Amino acid sequence: MRAGSGSSATGARMKRVLELWRLYAYLDLVWIARDLRSAIGYYLSDAVAGVGAVLGTLLLAERFAGLGGWTRGQVIFMLGYGVLASGVLEVFFNYNVKFISRRLGRGQLDHTLVQPHPIWTTFLTEGFAPFSGSPMLVPGVALIAWSSTLTELPATLGWWLAFVVNLAASAAIVLAFSFLWGSLAFWAPRAAEEVSTSAMRMTDQLKGFPLDGLSVGARVGLLTAIPAGFVAWLPSRALLSIEGANPLALLLTPLAAVALVLVAALAFRAGLAEYRRTGSRRYTDFGHRR
Amino acid sequence: MSVTQIGYVADGNVIELTNVWKVYRQVQRSAKLGEIFRNFVHPNLREVVALRDVSLSVERGEVVAYAGPNGAGKSTTVKLLSGLLAPDRGRVRSLGMDPVRERARYVRRIGVVFGQRTELWWDHPIAVSYEWKRVVWDVPRERFERTCGFVREVLGLDEFYTSLARELSLGQRMRADLGMALLHEPELLLLDEPTLGLDVLAKRRILAFVKELNRERHLTVLVTSHDMQELEQLAGRIVLVNRGEIAYDGDFDRLRRMHAVRRRILIETADGPAPTLEGAELVESQGSRHEYVYDAGAVRVSELLDQAAAQAQIVDVETHRAPIDEVIADIYERWQEERAAERAESESREAQ
Repeated sequence: MRAGSGSSATGARMKRVLELWRLYAYLDLVWIARDLRSAIGYYLSDAVAGVGAVLGTLLLAERFAGLGGWTRGQVIFMLGYGVLASGVLEVFFNYNVKFISRRLGRGQLDHTLVQPHPIWTTFLTEGFAPFSGSPMLVPGVALIAWSSTLTELPATLGWWLAFVVNLAASAAIVLAFSFLWGSLAFWAPRAAEEVSTSAMRMTDQLKGFPLDGLSVGARVGLLTAIPAGFVAWLPSRALLSIEGANPLALLLTPLAAVALVLVAALAFRAGLAEYRRTGSRRYTDFGHRR
Repeated sequence: MSVTQIGYVADGNVIELTNVWKVYRQVQRSAKLGEIFRNFVHPNLREVVALRDVSLSVERGEVVAYAGPNGAGKSTTVKLLSGLLAPDRGRVRSLGMDPVRERARYVRRIGVVFGQRTELWWDHPIAVSYEWKRVVWDVPRERFERTCGFVREVLGLDEFYTSLARELSLGQRMRADLGMALLHEPELLLLDEPTLGLDVLAKRRILAFVKELNRERHLTVLVTSHDMQELEQLAGRIVLVNRGEIAYDGDFDRLRRMHAVRRRILIETADGPAPTLEGAELVESQGSRHEYVYDAGAVRVSELLDQAAAQAQIVDVETHRAPIDEVIADIYERWQEERAAERAESESREAQ
């Protein structure tokens, strides 16, 4: 009986998430479709920004026919993977969910707390923007497709499953990193309002750099303190079996995601407990920001 | 009090605050350089008691005005009841639930309007915000259509129902916010300064709407405001909060009887300037109509009329009780004086 009720509760939660995704997809469509010119401008600028984030490394790979022991095709695959990971975040965690410190710093958490479902449900659904968030997916897919003409990609179901799982894990790591630093905004709402933006910018700028050839210290640092190595380099290395990478390496990014998500959740919970004690310290009684 | 298994309060108390304390810690900053660096390492903290051992009950169907000077603890109470804040001590129960521990279930049954903040989606029309509310609160379609039709009609939302929230005036936005807070037919409505910054017409519409809801649907309402006349129109009971404590809990008439000794007298004279009356203060003079305020406990109306008659020919006389704003202002002033006296006494004790 207990197992049955547990699985039906999970089923109900998933159904609810899907309902809310449908709602936010509708809101996103209504917003982007309001003005054709703005929509086109928005799409183009996001796509350009996505390519721009990896263009430097792309040009280096073109110039030197590869980088750090990686062939040109492998580098392009890695860059495409990195752009796709960013695209996944844009699609699922838009609307200042990924920039969580802005919500906290601007005193907007109350809007989340007056909604009648668990806070994780709001964060999992409110940022769903499949239309306005999708521009980043296009260059990502294009780069992966291009890489497939330059290097052999296994086309097995198992490989694609591993690709999707690692991609989700990479996105989760970036999100967790943002939430971990963003939790500072519970204690310092004004000072830490943009800390999530900075944290994500760090991972974004470093994601397209193959870490082979760097010192052990640098690699460890970029897989721990700033987990940019998990955003594209390590999962791509495992997926492409570069330099005899162990198939078990396909599990490293998902495991790191689980660990970082747990740590971020603990930090966020501690911050939320503090918020319950103090309330939003950002707004005066008359709605002006302090 | 009857409570069903899911915590629904069929009758009896909707809100119960029992010995609630809420204390904030404020960092005290200095302009002196030496103290700035010292405070950096060892912050100078001041404790601000927002609520001090507050106990309050509100029954189903009551409309309660919750008033007090700035910093008295009104917004803190609303936040405790909204599930946004946890008390430091004591117990908060509303609709038979703990607003913080049972937040998701609880907020499904309440409506909250913060006057200075909107719940509307800024870049979307009101219609879309209302649809969002329907889905997130899981309101059945038929019920939603009925309630939405009602609020649109009574609050006059049709003229801007398809406009973006950011294009609306403050009054329009407040009406839309109030309508949105009611779409799921809450049992308890919390209004925190709902008419802040609104013009007279907008205020009137909102007050009339809330009164109608209370009358027809037995909706329980707790409203905070600085507009005393508005509160007196709306609520049958007023709770006055001062420095985190309940200073008064009762109806407006009893409040007047207890605290209002000031009354107004309007004297119309045939000609000449306004008579000078000992024991009364002239507040307004328009042509031959002169309005005075006086302490009914210190001087009788007959004495004032005798003085006036000795100086001018009296054509007409009106007396009426002081507006509730004046009653409250007098109370706040008295509290301020008491606080200043306490501070002075404490400083002189420290000096000794």
